Amino acid sequence: MDCSYFRERINLYVDGELGYLEVAELQQHLSFCPDCAAELAQVGEVRGALAAWGRLELAPPPAFAERVMAVAELEPLPGSPRPFGRAVSDTLEYLDEKLGSIPLPGGRHLPVKNVIGWGLATAAVVIGFERRHGRRSRELTPL
Amino acid sequence: MATSNLHKWASLPDPSSADLARATEGDAQAFKLIVERYQGMVYSVAYNVLGNRTDAEDAAQEAFLRCYRKLPQFRSEATFSTWLFRLALTASVDYKRREKRHPEPVETPELVAEEAPELGEGVDAATIVAALHDLPEDYRVPTVLRDVYGLPYQEIAEATGRPLGTVKVMVHRGRASLRLKLRAEGAGPEQGLAGARPRSDA
Ligand SMILES: [Zn+2]
Repeated sequence: MDCSYFRERINLYVDGELGYLEVAELQQHLSFCPDCAAELAQVGEVRGALAAWGRLELAPPPAFAERVMAVAELEPLPGSPRPFGRAVSDTLEYLDEKLGSIPLPGGRHLPVKNVIGWGLATAAVVIGFERRHGRRSRELTPL
Repeated sequence: MATSNLHKWASLPDPSSADLARATEGDAQAFKLIVERYQGMVYSVAYNVLGNRTDAEDAAQEAFLRCYRKLPQFRSEATFSTWLFRLALTASVDYKRREKRHPEPVETPELVAEEAPELGEGVDAATIVAALHDLPEDYRVPTVLRDVYGLPYQEIAEATGRPLGTVKVMVHRGRASLRLKLRAEGAGPEQGLAGARPRSDA
């Protein structure tokens, strides 16, 4: 078997995704192939450097906590019933995450949530109108 | 998972249950203590996923807002830091999927610690940041989630909305590309990463 077969497997090996026999086969190849052995060592070094990087704490921008607090204070209390507008915008945010956006000519994007939002707003107006009229007509109808 | 950096962050002291209860009841001072203690973690996660400071700040802020809204759902079976770490990761990945990103010239972020980090011979913070910055977007996010934060592939697939097999291929390619970039920083092709460049602090 040539080296390209084992090169593929080096990544699977470091991820712990090879079975027992596959590991034995790879290790046997590494024992006499310095090129593949060097590649394994380098992949290990890259992963080591990345993991070490991930343990470092980067300094947030100045006054970051204050800005977070300024926005958080506009929020309703945690766990309190969502005001209707907030619930709608949370739903739209969720839809946005799931649906993304519609590409428009000229490289612009139309978020799907906007389309749905406009639809909801229109529906709310129509329903409100219907209700007012419905109620009034009931009020006027003598029993 | 032994390599997971969740463990590192999980060692941050959790807020006391009394502090958490006060924050959950809307005590701004109690929530501010949480923000101050964890802002480094949350911002670091956002920066590493998004690769620039403007987006990282926006996403980190979003992560804390989600934390605020979801405080009543926090259960003490998880450590608070692990719970918040995952909120930060998903807020950052969601942000990346949603927003038009701000391209910025690569600039090494400031570290909280004073001393130079131990990243391996010949590898410093600037090298890592530049190498990650140069990775194609599609490779960088899964590679960061996998090798910087030690997330299982299945979780990466779910977070990024990509098939498991695709995610694995992207990580493998990301590693290959990083290997070449980190070696290119060094002296010779036969030396590998180790000993490739004299350390500036040596
Ligand atoms: Zn070989």
